[in-house]
Amino acid sequence: MSEKASLEMEVKDLDLWYDTKQALKKVNMPVYKNKITAIIGPSGCGKSTLLRCMNRMNDIIDKCRIEGEIRLDDKDVYQKNYDVVELRKRVGMVFQKPNPFPKSIYENIAYAPRIHGVKKKKKLDGIVQQCLKDAFIWGEVHDRMESSAMGLSGGQQQRLCIARALSIEPDVILMDEPCSALDPIATAKIEDLMRVLVKDYTVVIVTHNMQQAARVSDYTAYMYLGELIEFGETEQIFENPQEELTEKYITGRFG
Amino acid sequence: MERMVEDFHNELEKLKKRVVRMGNLAQDMLKKSVKALKEKDTDLAKEILNCKNEIANMDEKIEQDALKLLTLFQPMAKDMREMATVLKMITYLARIGRYGKDIANITLELADKPHVKELVSIPYMAKEVDSMINDALTAFENEDVETIDGFTAREKNVDELRYSIFRECLTYMMEDSKTIKRCARYIMVARYLERCGDHAVKMAEKVFYMVTGEHIDLDPPGPTPDCEL
Repeated sequence: MSEKASLEMEVKDLDLWYDTKQALKKVNMPVYKNKITAIIGPSGCGKSTLLRCMNRMNDIIDKCRIEGEIRLDDKDVYQKNYDVVELRKRVGMVFQKPNPFPKSIYENIAYAPRIHGVKKKKKLDGIVQQCLKDAFIWGEVHDRMESSAMGLSGGQQQRLCIARALSIEPDVILMDEPCSALDPIATAKIEDLMRVLVKDYTVVIVTHNMQQAARVSDYTAYMYLGELIEFGETEQIFENPQEELTEKYITGRFG
Repeated sequence: MERMVEDFHNELEKLKKRVVRMGNLAQDMLKKSVKALKEKDTDLAKEILNCKNEIANMDEKIEQDALKLLTLFQPMAKDMREMATVLKMITYLARIGRYGKDIANITLELADKPHVKELVSIPYMAKEVDSMINDALTAFENEDVETIDGFTAREKNVDELRYSIFRECLTYMMEDSKTIKRCARYIMVARYLERCGDHAVKMAEKVFYMVTGEHIDLDPPGPTPDCEL
């Protein structure tokens, strides 16, 4: 990676408590534009918590307290009066288990643009088609747009969810273990898709699969017990990590 | 899972020990081949030829087992660097062993004629090269990059020795055309030894990468030594 990447988001001195338990400790991390950033670390290290902070999904959790900043366009998304709906429009999310709406394939994609004010059928049709194409699933579903999305395979459902995330043209897509419920072929498709999407979007992915992080991401963050231990270019993290904890984790010498 | 990881690290250790054993064999083949050449010991030369299959088998078996480990465990960081170094080392070592075999063949070809003069430069050069191979192997075994300090200068020295043997041979060949066949072989032997030195340098570079994660060039391009008389 020779070209200098520019910042899309920036996590600054972020602390997070679930009640009395501190889950994130002074996390500082850049998220570069049009790059894939992978967050790795053992279970319970706070990686999903950090990801969810990026579009304020933790707001709905009781007794969750946050200090510090997450900057998007040089504005702290946690500042008072920040429009959370607008934030989630700009920072979309794809979850571990595919979660399509129990509606038709078409409606899954058209839903968000419609509530954001797109009314014309022709325009909606265009958005739906484009998103499905961008998520590499158009060819598999174009002749059954009115069928229930629940009838799709796991891999197809996950790509549909990615297409749904694209429908409101976000800047950032957060993915929380998007492939852990998928077989290797469906996983490969999602990974290919990520590499294509990153040309137009910024992607942050949480994964337990280190080979996946090594394959798809440009930058990797290693977290342990709520702290960001090491952040760097993926090649460096997996080939020559600077921190002993990172080395131990990725070589399986942990504990 | 922990058990599996432990297995991997045990297997990796075993693999590294096998590389060292292969290295000792390659070193032995080269060392003995020069001894056989110097002393016109055809029995020893034949003994070396018999090692040819053994080193080829080691190369093949270690490679197969390394690939199996790579596939099963997909190692990262230092584990990955160690695997990569193992795979490169065995190629260099197999080549060093083969040069030993080539010198043994030359020994048999030249068996019916006396040497042009007592061999001094070639055994001296072989000793230098052998110590480089030895140090590269020690560095690998002990993960100690200090052992390979000074490899750049040693490599230059070996290059110079090759050209000095070349020049020396030219004088004999010009003096007496009957020496041409033998001298041409000596020049080849010097060339083989110089290549073995290069392989030692390459091994040292890989060991440095294995230990530090950094790439290093121990043989930067420089002026070619003068081959004119």
